[in-house]
Amino acid sequence: MKGWKKLIPILTALSLVLSGCGSADPSAKEQAPGEATADSGKVLRVGRMTELFDMNSVIATEADCLEIVSAIIEPLFITSEDGTPANALCESYEVSEDGTEYTFHIRKEANWMGGTPVTAHDFVFAWQKLVSPDVASEYSFMMEVAAVKNASPIIAGEMDPKELGVSAKDDKTLVVELDHAVPFFLNLMTFPSFCPINQAYYEEKGTDYSLGAENLLCCGPFYMSEWEVGGNTYQLKKNPEYWDADNVKVDQIDFQIIKDPQQTMLAYENGDLDYVRLSGEQISKYEGQPGFTRIEEGYLWYLSPNLNPKSPEYSCGLENENLRKALALSYDKDAICFDILKDGSIPADFAIPNRLAIGPDGKDFRETAGTYLKTDKEKAKEYWETAKKELGVNEVTIELLYDDSDSTPLIAQFLQSEMEGTLPGLHIELKAQPKKSRTQLMQDREYQLGLTRWGPDYADPMTYLDMWTTGSVYNYGEWSNADYDALIEAANGELATDPATRWEKLKEAEKLVMDHAVILPVYQKGTAAMVRENVSGLYFFPVGVGTLYKFVEVK
Amino acid sequence: MENMEKRMLTAEDFTPAKQNEIEIEKAYASQSFWKDVVSRFIKNKGAVFGLLMILLIVLMSFVGPSISGYDYRTQDMDQRNLPPHIAGMEYIPFFSGEETVYVGSKAYVTNVYEDKGIMDVTHIFGTDSLGRDQFARVWTGTRVSLYVALVAILIDTFVGMSYGLVSGYLGGKTDFFLQRIVEVLSTIPTTVIVTLLIVVLKPGLLSITIALMITEWIGMSRIARAQTLRYKEREFVLASRTLGERTLPIIFREILPNIFGQVIVMCMMTIPNAIFTEAFLAFIGLGIPAPLASLGSLISDGFKNMTMYPFMVACPVVVLALLMLCFNLMADGLRDAFDPRMKEA
Amino acid sequence: MLKYIEKRLLISVITVFIILGLLFLMLHNMPGSPFNDEKITAVQRAALNAKYGLDQPLHVQFINYIKAMLKGDFGVSYVIQKNMQISELLKARIGVSVRIGLQAVGLGTLIGIVAGVLAALKRNSWIDTFATVISVVGVSFPSYVFALAMSYYIGFKMNWLPLLYTESDAFLSSIMPTISLCMFSMATVARFTRTEMVEIMGSDYMLLADSKGIGVLRLFGIHGLRNAMIPIITVLAPLTVELMTGSLVVEQIFAIPGIGSLLVTAIQFNDYNVVLAVVFVYSVLFILVMLIVDVLYCIIDPRIRLAKESR
Repeated sequence: MKGWKKLIPILTALSLVLSGCGSADPSAKEQAPGEATADSGKVLRVGRMTELFDMNSVIATEADCLEIVSAIIEPLFITSEDGTPANALCESYEVSEDGTEYTFHIRKEANWMGGTPVTAHDFVFAWQKLVSPDVASEYSFMMEVAAVKNASPIIAGEMDPKELGVSAKDDKTLVVELDHAVPFFLNLMTFPSFCPINQAYYEEKGTDYSLGAENLLCCGPFYMSEWEVGGNTYQLKKNPEYWDADNVKVDQIDFQIIKDPQQTMLAYENGDLDYVRLSGEQISKYEGQPGFTRIEEGYLWYLSPNLNPKSPEYSCGLENENLRKALALSYDKDAICFDILKDGSIPADFAIPNRLAIGPDGKDFRETAGTYLKTDKEKAKEYWETAKKELGVNEVTIELLYDDSDSTPLIAQFLQSEMEGTLPGLHIELKAQPKKSRTQLMQDREYQLGLTRWGPDYADPMTYLDMWTTGSVYNYGEWSNADYDALIEAANGELATDPATRWEKLKEAEKLVMDHAVILPVYQKGTAAMVRENVSGLYFFPVGVGTLYKFVEVK
Repeated sequence: MENMEKRMLTAEDFTPAKQNEIEIEKAYASQSFWKDVVSRFIKNKGAVFGLLMILLIVLMSFVGPSISGYDYRTQDMDQRNLPPHIAGMEYIPFFSGEETVYVGSKAYVTNVYEDKGIMDVTHIFGTDSLGRDQFARVWTGTRVSLYVALVAILIDTFVGMSYGLVSGYLGGKTDFFLQRIVEVLSTIPTTVIVTLLIVVLKPGLLSITIALMITEWIGMSRIARAQTLRYKEREFVLASRTLGERTLPIIFREILPNIFGQVIVMCMMTIPNAIFTEAFLAFIGLGIPAPLASLGSLISDGFKNMTMYPFMVACPVVVLALLMLCFNLMADGLRDAFDPRMKEA
Repeated sequence: MLKYIEKRLLISVITVFIILGLLFLMLHNMPGSPFNDEKITAVQRAALNAKYGLDQPLHVQFINYIKAMLKGDFGVSYVIQKNMQISELLKARIGVSVRIGLQAVGLGTLIGIVAGVLAALKRNSWIDTFATVISVVGVSFPSYVFALAMSYYIGFKMNWLPLLYTESDAFLSSIMPTISLCMFSMATVARFTRTEMVEIMGSDYMLLADSKGIGVLRLFGIHGLRNAMIPIITVLAPLTVELMTGSLVVEQIFAIPGIGSLLVTAIQFNDYNVVLAVVFVYSVLFILVMLIVDVLYCIIDPRIRLAKESR
């Protein structure tokens, strides 16, 4: 035994030397990029940064998991190329006049693998699980956003999950009752948390459900063929029983988890992967090369000033609107997006990201809303002078809190240099923290100026605007404005059935936030990816499911 | 001379030689000991080279930034990610400002300085992702890392070595108890301890010192203990114990000199460790706050772009390796110089 | 001796509990919770805490944890593989970490001893300098720099070895991770071996042995190495445990599904049960290895007596 172990390193060293001398046969690796590996037909090979945390549709929260869930278990709708919901498991639907009752007709030909039909009961079961306190899903609030009847009291544990406003009229008809109309309800239905689950299968698997490929029952364009929990690879295969199988053009998708971005790119260049995301400086290297693809994300990065007058040691002058405006105009957002990040991020002169929501007029929210707080260093200086007079000081020191994720440290250092450069007498101290601590400090309101981000949960400006109402947990800066609260309340309530007016009110709300510089927007995050030229039909969305695999083709 | 003849022997002549004569002898002896040490050290070319290089690095860590003409924090968006370049001395390889770009499998050699029309700009180590001069950053960072190295050595010797010596020498119950503490301390993940420290401490040199104090001494204490266990039953220790010498003098006068070699080697292992720990601390917000850098943080930042801009990681790594090499050479020389047994070798 | 070992083993049970207790306390004082703090509401948090029993007083939670643990139940993961039994999670990952760790220590020790002996034999020659340079490089280049550099030149440019770790080609694909992990142990072993050898070469008994005409190699092999073993195992033992439980960066670069990255991710996400379980495994290994080291001391140098109190 002992001797055997000693042999390992010797063999290792030997084989290295041998393979070095003989230059081992590399032909095995030299396959043309994108070409299928085996007899399995068309294969797409994807590089990933994180493991699959969870495949249970009612529990999954990570972006990667949501993508895979929607590829193997379809929701009622999927997002189409232009961002509008398109029918998936739902064949047709009716909505009551006041917008509070939806009736969905589920495709007759939609079956779970093995032949069991997908029924309305599967949806009822899954939705009840989503709000049930025993499951305690982190995405249960989506049911509240959708305003499904009784969702809130059930989540709070005050009512039985059976009371949820969703029922199966018959096997293929699903009826959903809402507390009030929700203009973006169909958009919400594309979110993987609303996927169906087959009750019999779920109960048969018990606690093993969704742990491992063999514990998943699929009804989407693909099924999970390989996934060892804890492994660094997983694999999807085309589901031959899928109702729209004719439109699924690849036979297999292989996923490889590589947590180091540089190694990912080596593997891509080696021809081992077809679709990978780029990060940091890699983007400037690959920009302009064939296959370079820009992807817009919905994340808005912004600075949140703490303007809580009750805690002067944290607000330290930031309660002064002119100081906030001076800061907001003092940094070069173009340089951040086009020099430092170069990942397709765009300068944010707004509070609601681009391509997030389409209004009743069929136009993107941003197309008709204004722009605010555009970088203007001269004007920043004017605001700075006024602010200093109003505060009665000559110098201001502010601590900038940021976390260690991705490019954030670079951005924070750049912001410091820009702000101090534009506004003489201003001192920015940088405070780095792990992400958890950063979030906690901001939720405890124990910070001065925080660099943070917000990702949209659904395709409506409300996913952002809701944050800055009085008493909201995410209103880190403790801004409070009665007019604003009234606007949001109206948009959430009485105006739900009057989308056009509601849309205008939402624009007004954004204007209020920007005019008072409640947040100092920095940029809307973009990503870049390399996709082999022979791959087409990958769709990327800023909200909900990030990548849609259903229509992907490999030539 | 005349007196001599007349001289009579008296009792005085038989008193022991004068005290001061002995002192002279002692002084002579010690002088020759130090002389020997110095001459042995000087004869060791490697050691002298190490010492000189360390002095040079220390000097550079103070004057380096001003040589470059930049400071460590000034950003320039037009001069980002530039390779090393010395204006007018492009013939020196590595400092030509040229870099190889791969598009697919084809390699192109370009000169970014030429493309940008800034051939008169010198960045000896290139620039980073925010257009800051790496030469200034590396040397400023060296200063921080030298401090960390010094702290690590002090912690190693004062905490680690003493702990190990005491634990090993006293043995029995004391050793038993002290070693259980070590077990507890070394199994709790540093990340957990450090994350908790962030909550209580402000970033800066003091926090680094405290964080290093918690874990960095354990390796040294193990070595010191193991060596003490070996030597404490040896004849010379037994002899002084029988002569009634007290514990502390035995530990420090009899045992310590014998384990010096291992202590020095262990120090060499802990210094880079401490330097990288500092980088980790900076990353999560307990180290030196940005934009100030250290060798460790420059290495971990540069690593992110290693396949694209290898010089970003190469420069700080080479400086660190050089520093460590010189430390090693000097320490080896010092030990040899102090150890009389090494004379003939 | 046996009595001493018995005592150590008994006490180690208490040590493990102290470690777990301390860690439990520390983890629950870490900022944040295992759940998505950025988005969940107070009501959801309460429901989640209730579901996992995190709403109970800390000491009750700890007692429950220990009770379950004694029955072999390490709880479920809260984040990394939601609701999965930790024992399953560890089982899937521990093998590869242990294997690569042992390979690295083995390779490092072998090269280190050879380099150290050669350096001592040819003191102050170019071999000595070369060995010093290699060891210095080994300790001052971080393993991730090695790993990526190797992966770039050997894996990518030359195409000699697979870039990523795969189960199907576990041997070839573990060569690069092994080499990048072995650098530190190699450097350590080389330096300690050289130091010990140099000291022993000047010592009286070596001179005596030499005068008796025992060959140089035999001298080194029997007397020199035996003495060098003490510092070497002192340093290598904890390093072995560390490497066996995985290295974050090397696992990340070569896509190895080991427990090094698992621990770091778990700490990052406050996945308490995963951290506790990994540390449990680590501490048991560590304590055992430390005991073995102490016993080895006594075997290598019979004059060492651990149980004996001085004075």
